Amino acid sequence: MKELREVIRLVVLEKRDIVLSIVFGFLAGMSAVGLFGASGYLISRAALIPPLYALTVLIAFLKLFGFARALGRYAERYFSHRATFTILSNLRLAFYKKIEPHAPRVFQKYRSGDLLSRIVGDVESLQNFFLRVYYPPVVLVIIFLGTIVFTSIFSISVALVLLLGLIVTGLMIPAWYTVRQRKLTPRVRHARGVVSTEAAEWLYGFRDLKIYQQLEEKKETLQQSSDDYIREDERNSRQMLSSHSWNTFATLLVSWVVTGLGAFLVAEGDLNGLFLAMLVMISLTVFENAAPMAVLPSHLDDSKQASERLFSIVEEDNRGSDTYKIDGELAPSFQLTNVSYRFPNEEREALTGVNVTIPSGSKTAIVGASGSGKSTLLQLFMKFQLPSEGEFMLNGMDITDISEESIWENSNVVLQENHYFYGTIRENLQLAGQDLTDEEMNLVLEEVGLDFDLDQPVFEKGENLSGGERQRLSIARAFLKGKRVWLLDEPTSSVDALTERRIFNSLYERASQDTVVLISHRLSGLEKMDQIIVMAEGKVVEAGSYDNLMQKQGYFYEMKQIEKNIFST
Amino acid sequence: MKHLSRLAFSDRKVFMLLVLTSVLIGATIIGQSYFFVAIVDRIFLGEERFQDILPLLAGLLAVLAGRTLFTWMNGRTGITLASKAKRYYRQSIIEKYARNPVQASLQGQSGRKVSVLMDSVDEIDGYFSSYIPQMIQTMIIPLMILIVVFTQHIYSGLIMVITAPFIPLFMAIIGVMTKKKSEEQMEKLNTFSGKFLDTLQGLTTLKLFGRSKQQKEEIESSSLGFRDATMEVLKVAFVSSLMLEFISMLSIGLIALEIAIRLVVYESVSFFTAFFILILAPEFYLTLKDFGSAFHTGRGASGAANLMTEELEKEEEHIQWGDEKLEAEHPPALELDQVSFSYDKGFALEGLTATIKPYDQVAIVGKSGAGKSTLLHLLAGLAKPSSGVVALHNRSLFDYAEREWFSRVSYISQHPYLFSGTIAENIAIGGRGDHSKEEIQEAAERAGIAELIASLEKGYDTPVGEAGRGLSGGEKQRLALARTFLKKPSVILFDEPTTGLDLKTERILQASMEELAKTATIITVAHRLHTIKKADQILLLDRGHLIGIGTHEELLETVKEYRDMVTVQQGGDSA
Repeated sequence: MKELREVIRLVVLEKRDIVLSIVFGFLAGMSAVGLFGASGYLISRAALIPPLYALTVLIAFLKLFGFARALGRYAERYFSHRATFTILSNLRLAFYKKIEPHAPRVFQKYRSGDLLSRIVGDVESLQNFFLRVYYPPVVLVIIFLGTIVFTSIFSISVALVLLLGLIVTGLMIPAWYTVRQRKLTPRVRHARGVVSTEAAEWLYGFRDLKIYQQLEEKKETLQQSSDDYIREDERNSRQMLSSHSWNTFATLLVSWVVTGLGAFLVAEGDLNGLFLAMLVMISLTVFENAAPMAVLPSHLDDSKQASERLFSIVEEDNRGSDTYKIDGELAPSFQLTNVSYRFPNEEREALTGVNVTIPSGSKTAIVGASGSGKSTLLQLFMKFQLPSEGEFMLNGMDITDISEESIWENSNVVLQENHYFYGTIRENLQLAGQDLTDEEMNLVLEEVGLDFDLDQPVFEKGENLSGGERQRLSIARAFLKGKRVWLLDEPTSSVDALTERRIFNSLYERASQDTVVLISHRLSGLEKMDQIIVMAEGKVVEAGSYDNLMQKQGYFYEMKQIEKNIFST
Repeated sequence: MKHLSRLAFSDRKVFMLLVLTSVLIGATIIGQSYFFVAIVDRIFLGEERFQDILPLLAGLLAVLAGRTLFTWMNGRTGITLASKAKRYYRQSIIEKYARNPVQASLQGQSGRKVSVLMDSVDEIDGYFSSYIPQMIQTMIIPLMILIVVFTQHIYSGLIMVITAPFIPLFMAIIGVMTKKKSEEQMEKLNTFSGKFLDTLQGLTTLKLFGRSKQQKEEIESSSLGFRDATMEVLKVAFVSSLMLEFISMLSIGLIALEIAIRLVVYESVSFFTAFFILILAPEFYLTLKDFGSAFHTGRGASGAANLMTEELEKEEEHIQWGDEKLEAEHPPALELDQVSFSYDKGFALEGLTATIKPYDQVAIVGKSGAGKSTLLHLLAGLAKPSSGVVALHNRSLFDYAEREWFSRVSYISQHPYLFSGTIAENIAIGGRGDHSKEEIQEAAERAGIAELIASLEKGYDTPVGEAGRGLSGGEKQRLALARTFLKKPSVILFDEPTTGLDLKTERILQASMEELAKTATIITVAHRLHTIKKADQILLLDRGHLIGIGTHEELLETVKEYRDMVTVQQGGDSA
């Protein structure tokens, strides 16, 4: 259960709703037992023809139990679901608090894009933990204890049979299936993963497969694994069904024993025959409450898996210390000596032996083909990653000892993928500073060539903006932040050439005294840069000013020739 | 939905099995009640000895076992039915996609298609495994109980007949009354539920702006908003089940009251009958209530079912290949005769005519959206012209056997797809499947990727694709070249990358194409000036029309658009 410790801690925070759920669950369950028990007694009583008023009282009881049960069930559902969603909120919050300090690093580590939706899915699936795993057994046990105590007034042995029934249906059968479920679930999940990968491959690689005459073959493999998955899933459903069936049979068997035992006791004269029908009805009803136990194993297993995945994402990672802060007034300098970096679980180094010097206030461009390590290098500048080897000095201090927050706080960053929030343009710009005036914001928007109203809505992830508009909005945010170092990763790749030039003119004006590191997708317009760093396969192959590199006729020169050669259509 | 129920009832055997098990479940429910009542009656009123009721106890045990067994069988049939349906749908959808011409599959949405294939198919499970069996049970079991009750005591039966319709009636009334409200809430729900993901995705940005801490409150308030909206929706569901509970409770109470009074006051029913009815009545209402919840499961599947039906009913244009053999020695002479291609948005190509001689190097040039890729697909035989003919040796391309053609053609796209498997497997996919290790290595050598492969710990056995490590754009391009070298095609279709690759790849690409040109016709969607200059023939496209055809020099002289394009390019350091 240690996987779930954290989750349980969050669940028990909602004491009030939990107690209410349990109380009303108990009330509903007990009323049902009372209702059916009483009706059994009523009918027996009626058979012996007692005075009418006794019957009236009993019937009144019957109605009372009936309403109590219906209302109890309603209240139980209401409170347990409310607790569940409050817990879900707590879970989200707790998880956010946990992941927040590790944020960019963890995300870079898992480079797959679906990590986040998986996290959200896992958090979501934990909502079942309280609703289907945590409190139903509690309610079940209390109802049974109540019933058993009541029954023991009439017959100790019948009470014992009920107790035995509780142990079998509430404990033994679920436990047995929990163990079996553990073997089955990973197989289903695995089979589903295989199909999903193959389906994606088949559809995304459709054209290549068609040309290479592999489409039919792969189609068959896909259908094969789909069949495997369906088969595994079927086994899983059958297992649930058999868990359910055995549970039902056990409960019916208990009622059978109660009937037989009761009949025997009555025949022997140890039990008043008047109560026999009541006991039979009670035993038939009380096990209705054991039904949720049949689905408990699979939910328990799901919760465990989800919890384990969630809390293992944020294992301790190396992020150095927070000893120093950088001075926001100064334009920083960077000095990289023999820096190498390798992504976790990857064989090849993304960066190898990088030596770069960036003086304070200088302008540097990094160029290279896709996959040459440009963006990875920029990540080191932001301390998203620490070098695997080598020395990275910022303002003459080892970056390992500099607080990452102070780096972020003091830099204007535009990444390739920037985030925009659901809200207005104003809200998205105000990220750069709460006390920005509309005037300032409008000015910057104009500078980046955006004719936006500040109240204009921005949809989730900026879906209603074009790629170029999004990039320019990001640049506007960076302009508004106005710190002394600029770290820009292909900030204008989707912006037309004319606007791009305007934006860069603005940038150079604003950043005339600042340190600028710009990853550029184009080789043009770099004449003004103090230095151009050319990267290939994770290494720096050339560095120097534009004129320098062009005279040298080396790597950069050749790249330039190719770029000239390419038609931009 | 219609699709689903038709499928569910298509197999008579399964249907009969469901009906049979439902009848048996009904019978055991009645039997079980009978035995319980008989035992209590004999012991309590008959004051018989324990030994005398032993046969009854045995009977009860048998009935209970039977009830479990038949319920299990019923459930199992449902599960089998669900598996069968899922298999049927997934197979049909895969078949459907497989038949589609590539053009349609390239119209994107591969992600959506994966989701239809995985999620939608999985979502119909509940319809078959629980809704259908429950529906059949609901049609049979209450009726059986009703008949038995009528034989025992007409008035109780009448109460049941009168009260039962209230259950579906109330369900419908509540459904109608709350529909609008739930829709409103659902909208709210969608906004709230996206918030958490939105925040997580924006965490990097938030951190860079030092705003990540403040988001906690945002998350909390949106989570609680989500909770409150969800509760509004759920309350409706709970109230409706509360009403159902009340109805069944009231009805059972009514029946109990009625028989108790008859038992006491009029003495017109026996204890046996009274008790029997009292036990049967809850079972009657329980089956009706169960159907209510199964009904929701069934409804849940309708969205998925609609998606799948939509996908299955999409129009398709099947490409029918012939069985002509293709002469293997030389590259074929290709001809385009008045080729047009249109799709729902309009014409992509109109009336293209051109001849491509064996060993020609052809460059297709034009602005984006001019129809270059479409032309390449038509030449590849991946899509069928809406009118006109792509001809090979003076016969339609589609007269030849599919295998004959595809084993002679290679297609190198801008973003070659890596399949999950080893590097060796990814190279070998180009060939005919009987290549030695040496041949694969030689192809890798010629494509300039052997060095990189050698530097990897597992060499040619390094896994790539989904599960394995990624390759850079340039490396993928070279791997695609290796595929081509291995295949030795006589026609190569090449979609030249629009952005610069690393120098090494650029050089290799250029050299390789020159080498491949010795043995093949090469048709390139060209983005590089050198490719265009050395082409034997340039096809200049503009918005689906062929506006120029000839060599670089010829086009420079005769076609204004071409001249403009090249001038802009050469002075093109505008950015």
